[in-house]
Amino acid sequence: MRFKTNLKNIRTFSKLVAALSSLEKIAWLRLDDEHVRFTVIPDTGSQVWALLPMEFIFDNVQLQSAEAQNTINLELPLVPLQRALKSALNATSASLRLTKKDGIPILSMTIQTSTVAQGNQAGGQGSYSRFSRGDNNGPGHVAGGFGDDDDGIFNIEPLETHLHREREKIITQDIPVRVLHPDNVEMIMQPKVREPDVHIQLPPLLQLKAISDRFTKLAAASTRASNSAVATAATSNPKLELSANMHGSLRLSLTTDTLDVTSQWDSLENPELDPSQLHCPLEEHPSTTFREAGPDKWASVRVDGKDWSKVLSVGRLEGRVIACFADEHALILYVYVPQYDDVQGEDCVVTRMSVIADPLLAISLQAENM
Amino acid sequence: MVLLRFTLSEEGVNALRDALACLNKFSDEVSLEAKRDKLVFTALNSSKSAYAAFSFATNRFFSKYQYEGVAQNREKFFCKLYNRALLSLFRARTGDPLHDPEKGGSAIERCDVAIEDEAGKKSRFIVKIACRNGMTTKYRLPFEVSPPVHAKFDKDEALHSWSISSRTLRQLMDHFGPGIEYLDIHSDDDSTVNFTCFTEKVASGNEVLKKPLHTSIAVEKDEFDSFDVTEDKLHIVVSVKDFRAITQHAAFLGSDVSAQYSMPSRPMQIRYDGDGVKCEYLLMTVGERGAPGQRAKKTRTDARPAPQAQQLEAAASRVTSNAPTPAPRPTPAARREPMPSLRPTAPRQSQRPPPATLDHDSLFVPQDDDYQWEPVRMNEDEDEEEGDARLEWDASDRPNPSAIKMSSVMANQAAQRSGSGPDNRIEHEQGQALSYIEPTQRLSQARQFGLFND
Repeated sequence: MRFKTNLKNIRTFSKLVAALSSLEKIAWLRLDDEHVRFTVIPDTGSQVWALLPMEFIFDNVQLQSAEAQNTINLELPLVPLQRALKSALNATSASLRLTKKDGIPILSMTIQTSTVAQGNQAGGQGSYSRFSRGDNNGPGHVAGGFGDDDDGIFNIEPLETHLHREREKIITQDIPVRVLHPDNVEMIMQPKVREPDVHIQLPPLLQLKAISDRFTKLAAASTRASNSAVATAATSNPKLELSANMHGSLRLSLTTDTLDVTSQWDSLENPELDPSQLHCPLEEHPSTTFREAGPDKWASVRVDGKDWSKVLSVGRLEGRVIACFADEHALILYVYVPQYDDVQGEDCVVTRMSVIADPLLAISLQAENM
Repeated sequence: MVLLRFTLSEEGVNALRDALACLNKFSDEVSLEAKRDKLVFTALNSSKSAYAAFSFATNRFFSKYQYEGVAQNREKFFCKLYNRALLSLFRARTGDPLHDPEKGGSAIERCDVAIEDEAGKKSRFIVKIACRNGMTTKYRLPFEVSPPVHAKFDKDEALHSWSISSRTLRQLMDHFGPGIEYLDIHSDDDSTVNFTCFTEKVASGNEVLKKPLHTSIAVEKDEFDSFDVTEDKLHIVVSVKDFRAITQHAAFLGSDVSAQYSMPSRPMQIRYDGDGVKCEYLLMTVGERGAPGQRAKKTRTDARPAPQAQQLEAAASRVTSNAPTPAPRPTPAARREPMPSLRPTAPRQSQRPPPATLDHDSLFVPQDDDYQWEPVRMNEDEDEEEGDARLEWDASDRPNPSAIKMSSVMANQAAQRSGSGPDNRIEHEQGQALSYIEPTQRLSQARQFGLFND
């Protein structure tokens, strides 16, 4: 079993890991020739299945496994991974390698970094002066011959500063992992949910999260205030109701004994479906029924306020998020992860998109039946 | 009788606070030692493996400094204080300028400290803090008169030394994750120095994944201002927690940090200077298990097997063992300073206030603003939350006590629900205390003076 790769898109990778770790501290990482898949399955709460093309975060991958389809399955703690990626954020290069240390398998991240800020500035000046000198000297002088000039003793100095400042550090971050046997993981399947009744692009997640969190706290506070006598009984987390229609509206509401609050967003986009990706004709798709039923036809789910808050933490990826509502059954979020580091990369700017097709990150949120 | 009086400027208060915060990471108690020319704060941790000392030059650091001394001992005065209480005085209203930076409302402008100690009277450490807005607050802290314990370091023995910019060191330390215990510093070859962290906790089975991140950093020797370690492959191991506390404080001052040491299981001295302050630490280094360090020690005459739990004190007594009469350790007080005879014999009860609500780890400023993506926290003390996320009663507009009581009742419930919450309890106490204040002015007015640690 061999796995070695260079890292790219580290900032996005790091944010992805942060988003995952808000739900669960240990992830299942599955690697094969084409994809990297992160799965987190908390005991209670929402699952995340994040499928990324290999080249999205890895570069120059060497992968070799005795298992079927050349797969490697690892159990990976997310907090150390996140910490290691933080070290790599400003790195000149970073690589990841599966290896063993003291008999324990580890993912070893090797990070090359140089002293930042001040160091780079000085380095920049150093190289600038070197270039300008090269121009002044003309073609008669060879690159290495600075000291041969008459004024050489004055010119060595910036070069030395340059060398002095651009000192490299090599950081090794070893993340403990467990290699999983395929038999243990092949049983775990992504939850199947029926075709959604409503799909809608969510408003900016930070906004949605701020309001949701406020509602959640409000629910906790109102429980506290209304039935102080049985306060200890209020151990369960508050539930928020999320509803959406096929006419661009999303509603978030909280109902308790004493209060009833609702926030509504309008003019959101209900993306069109790609008929080629559907298992049934578009006319028979439940969303068509919902669309035709008009703006008063809502698909609703109830979510655990705390869990929902954790899920919304994917907002840090700043991707486009499509929510798929299966009325009174489930809510699935598809997050399209943009690429920051690579301007050329195909990112989430897809005007006509298929909701089901190849999402980069799927969060399926198990909702409570009402 | 006032035996010591000094005044600190705003910068002085900040510097002192930084120093106390650093000392607080070593021990709950801080020893103060005042002389005519310097004021020294020291702390020795409970396992006696780390010692920190901050020596403030009285002529440079203080705006005013007046040492009277006591009749029994003109030379110096010493006492022990509960550091958290001391810290909270200086810390109390620093958060405010953030809320309204223009007025700088309740920022500390000046701080007068007086130490009173007299037989038959209450001895107190009195702090008078004058804020920019004209408000003056006076605090009296109890203290215990007991001599400080100083760890000693034999410079002649410490042949190895290096010095490095505090900023670089801080950057290095930032790469280490939580949960690690030890830091191993060793030079591999002529050009690099390795910083490696490790833990002694053994993990197996499912616990394997809970192992902390294992980090090692290879640094070029050039990164050091000087690196003078003659012994090759000498592994020197110190506690990460202590080392981190040091690098953090050193980075505030921005000066170069120099370390001096001899060999494993002997203390390492770390020093740096600030403006008018000298900082010195002694860290007991852990005996290296891998042989290289030990092997190279054979030339030393006093090399002995390193006990696992070394103590600086033990080291100190060993160092001073040449002295003619090394008194037995248990009564260091008797040996060091004759206690003034007029003093009541019973040790003073140190009236420890409840732990401060502020988290002292808040020095670890998060690098990014990622916090907004953190999951909702419902049962926590809402003090840390942003103002707009707060759901408590906003007492600023209605200074009626019932609202305050309500919030304290709610806090009480929260405390009950969460089993025990010291923070909640405090809030409750504060709430009660507030309701006893005669309503002479609006809370909003009082609040701007920073009386309430909001």
